[in-house]
Amino acid sequence: MKDKLKQYRLSAEEFERIKKLLGREPQGVEWALFSALWSEHCSYKSSRVHLKKFAFKSARVLQAMGENAGVIDLGQGEKVAFKMESHNHPSFIEPYQGAATGVGGILRDIFTMGARPIALANYLCFGEPSAPRMQALVEGVVSGIAGYGNCVGVPTVTGQTEFDASYNGNILVNVLALGLFSEGEPIVTSPARGVGNLVVYVGAKTGRDGVHGASMASESFAENSASKRPTVQIGDPFFEKLLIESCIEVMHRNLVVAVQDMGAAGLTSSSFEMAAKGGVGLRLHLDKVPLRDSSVGPEEILLSESQERMLLICTPKNLAGVEEVFARWGLDAKVLGEVVPGPEIELLWKDEVICKIDPNLLIEHAPVYERAYSAWTPKHRNSIAGAAPSSLKNVVGSIEGTSREWIYRQYDQRVGVKTVRDCSDSVAVLRLPSSGRGLGLVLGCRPHVMRMDAQIGGYDAAFYPALELCAKGFQPLAMTDCLNFGNPEKPEIMSEFVASVEALAAASKLLDAPVISGNVSFYNETQNVGVTSTPATGLVGLRDSIENIPHSHFANEGDAIFLWRMPGVSFAGGSFSGELKPAAVAAWLGEVREFVTRTRCSATRVVGKFGLQYALYRMCTPELGATVEMREWGNSPAAWNVETLYEIVLTVSPDLELKTPHCWRLGTVTRGTLKIDSVDQDLTTLHTTYRKGWRKHFALLA
Amino acid sequence: MAKPVGILRFLGTNCDRDVWEAVEATGHKPQWLWHADQFSVGDYSAFIVPGGFSYGDYLRCGVLAAKSPVMKSLREAAGLGYPVLGICNGLQILCESRLLPGVMVRNIGRRFIDTWVELKLENQTRWTSGLKPGARIRLPIAHGEGRFYAADEELKKITDGGQVWWTYSTENPNGSLRDIAGVCNAEKNVCGLMPHPERAMHTWLGGEDGRQILKNMVAA
Repeated sequence: MKDKLKQYRLSAEEFERIKKLLGREPQGVEWALFSALWSEHCSYKSSRVHLKKFAFKSARVLQAMGENAGVIDLGQGEKVAFKMESHNHPSFIEPYQGAATGVGGILRDIFTMGARPIALANYLCFGEPSAPRMQALVEGVVSGIAGYGNCVGVPTVTGQTEFDASYNGNILVNVLALGLFSEGEPIVTSPARGVGNLVVYVGAKTGRDGVHGASMASESFAENSASKRPTVQIGDPFFEKLLIESCIEVMHRNLVVAVQDMGAAGLTSSSFEMAAKGGVGLRLHLDKVPLRDSSVGPEEILLSESQERMLLICTPKNLAGVEEVFARWGLDAKVLGEVVPGPEIELLWKDEVICKIDPNLLIEHAPVYERAYSAWTPKHRNSIAGAAPSSLKNVVGSIEGTSREWIYRQYDQRVGVKTVRDCSDSVAVLRLPSSGRGLGLVLGCRPHVMRMDAQIGGYDAAFYPALELCAKGFQPLAMTDCLNFGNPEKPEIMSEFVASVEALAAASKLLDAPVISGNVSFYNETQNVGVTSTPATGLVGLRDSIENIPHSHFANEGDAIFLWRMPGVSFAGGSFSGELKPAAVAAWLGEVREFVTRTRCSATRVVGKFGLQYALYRMCTPELGATVEMREWGNSPAAWNVETLYEIVLTVSPDLELKTPHCWRLGTVTRGTLKIDSVDQDLTTLHTTYRKGWRKHFALLA
Repeated sequence: MAKPVGILRFLGTNCDRDVWEAVEATGHKPQWLWHADQFSVGDYSAFIVPGGFSYGDYLRCGVLAAKSPVMKSLREAAGLGYPVLGICNGLQILCESRLLPGVMVRNIGRRFIDTWVELKLENQTRWTSGLKPGARIRLPIAHGEGRFYAADEELKKITDGGQVWWTYSTENPNGSLRDIAGVCNAEKNVCGLMPHPERAMHTWLGGEDGRQILKNMVAA
């Protein structure tokens, strides 16, 4: 029995719970069902009690947690669905396929809702470039994202890439997808409805790949992650493209009642969730599932995570229409069974019932754990080893500070012809086709802030990207999160989890930007060492027009440069001083947005890691630099490298007087040089160092 | 009203909607042509084969699409002198169909490249009647296999016959022979290029030089 529990990754207590629910021991495929649906990945058993803290909704929310993705109303007939998801474990085991199927999976979450995917973004955390396998991991992950996203024809418009030793043994690969509903296009949901309706399998055939993937992703890595390679799925973006077109077509023609993609735990989780949510039962003939290999058995069929597959419910009357659409796009559409009066799901193999079970036992009655944690206090704050003061040239050439162009040049950023600002900018901007308004998209979470304090880091994961939106005149509307943490059974990890979830929830309320979708990834640890707790976020904002959006680099010679700082908090060299007042931050963000909307700013840039000097450098172009003085307003030169939560640099026409509090004139945009306190920074060398820095750290990559 | 512009759609084509919008933006009427169907050539004024990953680039870019039923009709149209334009994967398909000379192979550096490039018009064709040879425009590229290649003899024929349409004028991003970014047939009615004119139709997209190619497509 011990071996069996180990095989199915269930604890002894969970086994007792199953026996109590069933009134007997589980039999046959029931083992596999419980293993999959009670995995951390599917059941959110360690996080569920805390995720309820994201309950806040705004008037714009049309669909929040509980469906494949959240949906918000943009007004004027436009809606967007978006969500971010992790694919950390598979990407560490097999980087190309792991990352590629991460893209595929999150895209399915979007078009399952009826939205056409129009943008992708990725949040990546790698270890030090010198760590074992890291060059190959970077290569594989970036190629995998590019290979999949480019082929399906969805542009990758923004991203964030971090490097830190804590990810040496467990990288993070989080992908966000966003989809658009045009006027009148319906939101499609997953609850199965209507006794007698048909359950139809569409998409690629089922193979053995990814069997037990969900429970694999719910475990820490031992040393030999390579042995888990068969649990990684293989993706085919060509199939996904066909699936996008055919699914959107049947949804727009109202041929289907409900749709669910087959993601983690494949057919099991999709069918059980559809039935449980709809309060109906299903009768499914597993032997009718299209197979890649006739030797695949019922248990493998239930757990396979083969990619590019969906389950739909349609009325018998609409079946012919559904079949016609899928056949036209070259895909299988196979009736597996039907909706029956609830609550039980009946699984058949060659007309023999192999399992009959109430899906609520697996879903509603899944265990929920109140993992031990302690309430957050400033005592939890770490004094992190801050970056030693360094020359601008060193920062610009370091792996943290150097150009990410090697990455994003491999992504198609323009397919779909909506991209106003691409990956080279700090905020991605898409033009909404019918209203012509601007949709802003930006990712957040700064691991170095999280390493200092998980509560401040949690606030920052919302505030920092929100500031980036506000600095371009976008109103933040909603967010998604992807919570990457270590082992939740360790109280110190759980304390960080709870602190950052609560901070994120509070920040979302203050910003009036609810968390509408998300994902939790625990057990990001290898040999007992966890990653930096990393609650990645994706924020969506709206702007009335795409005209005159401030640039992120200097735009006109002679423009006046200002620094605008939110007073009260500084954060330098690993030491934090002051007090972060969330309500004050949110109010200041509102002021920034208001100002940028009212005043014509030629450029704006949020000051982040490495402080002001680096931010000013990043605003320089091959032609334009700046002459700035800091001494004038009484700060020591060392202050150039101080990171302050929060501040922005902005440039305006020189005849404009800014009389905003905490806003100082730094200097003027000039031609060709960057002079800081009269010292010439040699812009040409900086540009070369910035451009070539990547190559220096990743010499093995072509 | 002029006859519509036919836009070919294969399984895996992904720039089809973008081309549709661009055709509309230049005042023409677009119409879909599905890969599995032949069409009546006389019903259209011009044809565009958009970019994407037809058949997932399986076997070789464009080779499977080149065997589709719709290509039988397109071949007929090309032979009759109708304007035909291939963009990106569309160019690969036209090369694989032997409607255009040369082949497109993996970029030097073996990576997909998304960036803006500067192009120089080398020879006049049906699709650039508004421009003079030597004209320079800026368009985005997004491809992994856009390196133009032809054997010496064919290359000489192309160059001598004025079949080099566009070249990369400042930086050759992919290692194409003679910096070739676009080619045409001997009759100058069938043209193809790797850059995407449909992605450069508005200043907010980063430029509107794409109009220089798409606005001239229907002479009559």
